[in-house]
Amino acid sequence: MSATTTHIVDDDPAVRDALQWLLRSRGVASQTWVSASEFLSFAAGDLCGCVLLDVRMPGMSGIELFDRLRSLHCRLPVIFLTGHGDVPMAVQALKDGAFDFIEKPYDDNALVDKVLAAIAHDLKRSARDDSILSVRQKLEQLTQREQEIMQLILAGKLNKVIADELGIAMRTVEVHRSRIFEKMQVRSAVELSQVLGLLGGRPEG
Amino acid sequence: MGSSTPLPSGERISRWRWLWILPRLAFVLFVGGVALLLWTSDRTDKEERRATLISDILWLEQNLRFHLTRNEELLGRIDRPHTANAAAFESFARTVIGFESGLRQLIWLDPDGTVLLAHPITMDPSLVGDAEEAIPSRQSFHLARSLGKPVYSKPYPYFTNDWQFEVHVPVSREGRIVGVTVGVYRIRDLLSDSVPWWLAERYRISVIGDSGKVLGSRSKVESAVTEEGYQVGFDPPGWGLALHAVPYHAPRPLASVVLSASLVILALIVLWSLWILRRHVLRRQAVEEQLRQEHAFRKAMEDSLDTGMRARNMEGEIIYVNPAFCRMVGFSAAELIGRRPPMPYWADDHLDETRNIHDRILAGEGPDEGFELKLKRGNGEVIDVLIHEAPLIDAHGQQSGWMGSMVDITERKLAEERARQQQERLQSTARLVAMGEMASSIAHEMNQPLAAISSYCTGAANLLRNQAPATDVVPALDKAVDQAQRAGKVIRRIYSLARHSENRFERVHLGAHIDAALSLMEVDIRQKGIRVTLDLAPQTVVDGDPVLIEQALFNLLRNAVESMRDTVPDQRQILIALSCTAGYVVLTVADRGCGIDAKVADKLFDPLFTTKAEGMGMGLAICRSVVENHRGRLSFEANAGGGTVFRILLPMAPE
Repeated sequence: MSATTTHIVDDDPAVRDALQWLLRSRGVASQTWVSASEFLSFAAGDLCGCVLLDVRMPGMSGIELFDRLRSLHCRLPVIFLTGHGDVPMAVQALKDGAFDFIEKPYDDNALVDKVLAAIAHDLKRSARDDSILSVRQKLEQLTQREQEIMQLILAGKLNKVIADELGIAMRTVEVHRSRIFEKMQVRSAVELSQVLGLLGGRPEG
Repeated sequence: MGSSTPLPSGERISRWRWLWILPRLAFVLFVGGVALLLWTSDRTDKEERRATLISDILWLEQNLRFHLTRNEELLGRIDRPHTANAAAFESFARTVIGFESGLRQLIWLDPDGTVLLAHPITMDPSLVGDAEEAIPSRQSFHLARSLGKPVYSKPYPYFTNDWQFEVHVPVSREGRIVGVTVGVYRIRDLLSDSVPWWLAERYRISVIGDSGKVLGSRSKVESAVTEEGYQVGFDPPGWGLALHAVPYHAPRPLASVVLSASLVILALIVLWSLWILRRHVLRRQAVEEQLRQEHAFRKAMEDSLDTGMRARNMEGEIIYVNPAFCRMVGFSAAELIGRRPPMPYWADDHLDETRNIHDRILAGEGPDEGFELKLKRGNGEVIDVLIHEAPLIDAHGQQSGWMGSMVDITERKLAEERARQQQERLQSTARLVAMGEMASSIAHEMNQPLAAISSYCTGAANLLRNQAPATDVVPALDKAVDQAQRAGKVIRRIYSLARHSENRFERVHLGAHIDAALSLMEVDIRQKGIRVTLDLAPQTVVDGDPVLIEQALFNLLRNAVESMRDTVPDQRQILIALSCTAGYVVLTVADRGCGIDAKVADKLFDPLFTTKAEGMGMGLAICRSVVENHRGRLSFEANAGGGTVFRILLPMAPE
């Protein structure tokens, strides 16, 4: 997961090879794919790096591949390589969430810079994804009752009020509270709400 | 035509009725006048006759009075010797009676009234005297004796038919009445004696008593009387007697009868001729009405036509136009009829062409299938029309002119033109799209190796900057060279695509291909009113691809035509010249268009360079490519006096 790879998808072997060579000259690891469908069969949600995608390819086109990746929840940033006349298509792709596009003929080192930027972006995303994942895993350890009480704590209610609402002893609420803090690895209600904030208000995400 | 508007039939009939009153009135007046004339003449005639009748009867009365008076005198002159004896009295009586006196008997009475003598002798004493009261003799006698004057008695009947009256004349001697002479008149005899024959011929004369009874008359039995008569008093004898005369029916004079008859016949003839005339006129009116209706029907038909109709006589003068024609050309019928060419609706720009067609039609050589023409409306608008001409044959089977039908096809032409332009734009767009597609595909194919080369080189440069060993860099440079060669192959392939026709060269007659290219542009040339002048040397043959050469010619022609879009119409002309010099065929296309700006001159033959809004920028590029492919040269220069001359030099084909 820590290793990032740039996936080059282009039907032209020379272009593929040249791009790989160029990236390697700047120390960027890459992998080449002859066609969109070949990459699609490999692509998965936990990839990290970026995709260099030729818009115009026989068979499945770059745009189509991009849509398919989105539907597979593959969040790899995509940089489109466009020829003359494909610009409007690429702009549309950008609006749909592509990372960037670069028009042929391109300044090669500028291309590499864009690849590096995309990789950095993906690493950040990947890190955030990891913390979200851990919060989720912690939440999953809570029992039904604990989750219920946690919601009430997040609403800022005192133990006494919670005990009254649920019709249980205040002592029991205190026990649940300390178990929740323990499981979520936080020391206060404020910290708890910060951790859950990573989920973007979507704890069930 | 159609200048006389037909009267509404009601008005027409009333006018005719008025016309008929005159002869009828004249006829009635004539008959009335004749009748009046006849009546007047008849009346005058009658009055005349009556006047004659009156004078005649007065004359008769006077005659009778004279007669009676004379008789009185004769009777009063009786003397003693006359009464001496019967014989003497008889001789006296004979003298008196024989004198056509009307007397029948003479009686001599003594003063006592005794009959002394009588002739003829009467046996009946009652004849004289008062044996019967009916006879007033005694009374008259006494009256006469006492008065000493003649006295007439009342008439009394004698036997059955006759009436008599007496006159008693006292005779005195030495102042003493010695006797009385009695004369007996029989009325019938009196009339026959004293009425002359000519009078009796004309009238029935009768004596009427005071009771109105006819006492005696003289008449012709066979003649009937028609008119009322006239009567005068008959005195003496008096006693209410009257003379009555009735004219016999006199035959009318022949002249009058003939006149009347001829007048009646004349009237009948007039009546008959009037009737004949009336019948004739009525029949004529019916025929006229039928004709008028037929004419109105035909006129309505002509007027409702959408097709313009025009008739001309053999001299080309317009003799008829229908309303549709007037509407189309925008002139009124009055303005057109009688006009001779040039017509006011001939388009100024096509005057020669129009006159040419006009003359051909009059010469009978007009196109049977009709022809299209541009005409100018009254308001200056130009319209396209389709005209068919046919000989106009009159009632005698002679050709009296030409009949033309005209249909306005301006809209149709416009629609056709729009469709053509649409089609052209569509084709040009399709060509543009195809071009764009091709260019895009070429660009992609070129981009690939170029991108690869660029990437290899950049990568190599990156490595070398990091002091990487040459062995790391060389493979990338080798690959870059490969890609450069690949790009070269692409270019060669494209180039060979353009040159693919070289092996199709053949003998090409340029003149024929100029014609072919012109015919492709014909519509535009005609529409823009461009005059094309050809100056072609014969025997101009080159080796080449006819299709490509024609394409190049077409492109040059199209540029020439399109360059004159803003040139005034009568300046629009293209001169195409073909000549041979020093082993080369020289073709020049000179236009009067907008010319070529010096700023664009050196880019003119570049592909995709264009000065036209819808151009692709390939026309001249193709031209040059084709010309150079044929080992020729394409050049241009400004045309003296505006426009551009393009010149193509092609090597002449070897003999």
